Amino acid sequence: MPEARSGGARILSALTVLLAILILAPVVVLVAGSFLNTRWLGVTTEQWVAGSDSIVSLRWFGYVLKLYAPMLVFSVEIALLSVLVCIGVGVPGGYVLVRRFPGSALLEELVLLPLSVPGITISIALIQAYAVFRGQWWMVLCGHLAYTIPFMVRSVTTALRASSVETLDAAARTLGAGFFRRFWLVVVPTVRHAILIGSLLVFAISWGEFNVSYLLNTPLHQTYPAGLYAAFTFNSFQVSSAAATIFLAVVLPVLLAIQWIGGPEAVGIGQGA
Amino acid sequence: MSRPFSQFQRAAPRPGSRIGAALLALPLVFLVAALLLWPVGRLAIESLRPGSGIVHGRGEPQQTLTLTLSGYREILTDRGYRKALVHSVGLSLGVAAAATILCLGPAWVFVRRDFPGKRFVRAVFTLPMSFSGIIIGFLTIIMLGRIGVVPRLLHALTGREWLSGFAYQFGGLALAYLYFEIPRATLTLEAALKRFDFTLDAAARTLGAGRWRRLFLVVLPLLRPALLSTFAVTFSVSLGSFGVALIVSKRFSLLSLEIFQLYTGLFEPQLAAAMSMVLIAVALAVNGAARALSAVPAGRSRA
Repeated sequence: MPEARSGGARILSALTVLLAILILAPVVVLVAGSFLNTRWLGVTTEQWVAGSDSIVSLRWFGYVLKLYAPMLVFSVEIALLSVLVCIGVGVPGGYVLVRRFPGSALLEELVLLPLSVPGITISIALIQAYAVFRGQWWMVLCGHLAYTIPFMVRSVTTALRASSVETLDAAARTLGAGFFRRFWLVVVPTVRHAILIGSLLVFAISWGEFNVSYLLNTPLHQTYPAGLYAAFTFNSFQVSSAAATIFLAVVLPVLLAIQWIGGPEAVGIGQGA
Repeated sequence: MSRPFSQFQRAAPRPGSRIGAALLALPLVFLVAALLLWPVGRLAIESLRPGSGIVHGRGEPQQTLTLTLSGYREILTDRGYRKALVHSVGLSLGVAAAATILCLGPAWVFVRRDFPGKRFVRAVFTLPMSFSGIIIGFLTIIMLGRIGVVPRLLHALTGREWLSGFAYQFGGLALAYLYFEIPRATLTLEAALKRFDFTLDAAARTLGAGRWRRLFLVVLPLLRPALLSTFAVTFSVSLGSFGVALIVSKRFSLLSLEIFQLYTGLFEPQLAAAMSMVLIAVALAVNGAARALSAVPAGRSRA
C-alpha cells in the first residue's frame, strides 16, 4: 500500500532511479564499446585504425568466439554439470535437513558456511588439499560445487519450510506410502519451483565463478572468466568489451528469468566476486 | 504448525524412514566433508607449518612436523602484509556499512512504492550480482580509468580531465566494491522489509511521532537483525573478493590479493594458508558478532 506522497518518499524514489542509472551506465558503455568505433569520441585504438572507418563492426565478436570458444564450451559444461549435481545432492539433502534430527542444525550451518566465508579462502583450501588432482577438469567442477551447493540447499529448505510438506508427508505415510515414494511424490513436487530457481542461481554463479577456476585451471581447462581475465590483461578494449558482452549475453537471460519467476528463494545471489 | 502430526511422527518412528533419510543425506554430508571440512582442516594445519622460506631466503624447506605461528607472526610484523590486512578489513567494513545504509532507501521503495518501470529498475539492481569481480574491475577502468568515459565527459564539459585514473585509487576500489554489494544489500533488506509490520509505523504516526523519530525509534530498531545480517553478508563477500582488486588495484594491496599472489607467483603456500585462516577468522567473527547482536532481546518483537 503506497503511503501518502511525501517529500521523503520522493527523494528515496529519485535515489533509487539514480542508483539504477549508475549501475546500468558502465554496462551500456561496455556493450556499446564492443561494436562501436570509439574514434568519434576521440579514443583511437589500433584495431579500428587498421580496420575500417565504419561506425559499427562486429568483427571482434568473431575474433573472441574463435579465440575463446573452448573456454566458452568448458564453462557452459561445468555450469550445467554443477546444476545437475546440485539438484541430485541438494534436493534430498535439503529435505533431510528440514526434518529435524540430532545434529541437523550443525549440518545445516556447515552446508551454508561457504556463504559467509571469504571466497578465496575456500579456493586456496581446496587447491592445497587436493594438489594431486590439479589440472583435472573435475577439480574445477568440485570447486564450483563448494560454492553452489549452499544456494540449492537454501532454496530447497526455504521452500520446504514455507510449505505444509510435513503435513502432506505425514498424510501420505498414514496412507501407507514408503519413504522414497513419499520423497518422490510429495516432496519433489512441492519444491519444483525452488529447484528451478536454485538451478538458475547455480548456473549463473558457476558461469561467473573466477576464484577457483583461475587458481585450479590449466591451459587445457580454462573457464570463460579466466579467458576474460586474459583478455582484460593482454587484449585491446574492443576485444575485452566483446568478450565481456558475450559473458553478459549468457548470464543476463538467466538473471532475468530469476527475476521474473522469482519467489522468496530468489533472494541473495551471493558470489565470491 | 502441525503439532499433532509431528508428535505422531515421533511416536511411531519407522526404521525404514530413518535409513532412507540417512541415504538421502549421504551425498550432501560427503560433499560437505570433502569440499569444506577436510580442505579447511588441512589449511589450518598448513598455516601452522614452517614456511618454505624461498622468498625470504631461509634456506631449505624443513621436513619436520613442528608447528609454528611464524606465518601469523609474519602477517602481523611484515609492514606490507599488515597494511594489506588493514586495507582489507577497513575497505570491507566501510563498503558493508555504506551498502547497508544506502540500500535501505531502494529496498523501502521496492516494498512500499509503485511507479511505472519498477520491475525494470529492480532487475537493474540485481544485475551486478552475476558479474565476476574481474568484470566489475574492467567496468571501473572503462568508466574511471586514465582515459575513462567519466573523465572524457568531464573534459568535454569543463575542459579538465577530472577523476582521470580514479579507478586506481582507493576511492575507485571502494566504489567498485560498492557496485557489487548493492544488489546483495538491497535484496536482503527488501526481504526483511516485506515481512516488516508497517502498522507499527502507522501507530507511531497516529501517536504523533515525526518521520525521523519513527525511523530511529520504531523502524530501525525493528530492522536491526536484518541490518546486521546484511552488514555481515556484504562484509564477508568484500573480504574474500579479489577479482576487482586484481584488475584495478595498483597501489593498494588487499589480503585476498596477497593470498592470490603468494599462491600463484611466489610459491609460499604456508603463508597463504595463514592469511586465509586470518580472513576466515575475521569473517566468522563479524558474522558471529552480527548474529549475537541481533539475538539480544531489545524488548521488542523480531522483524
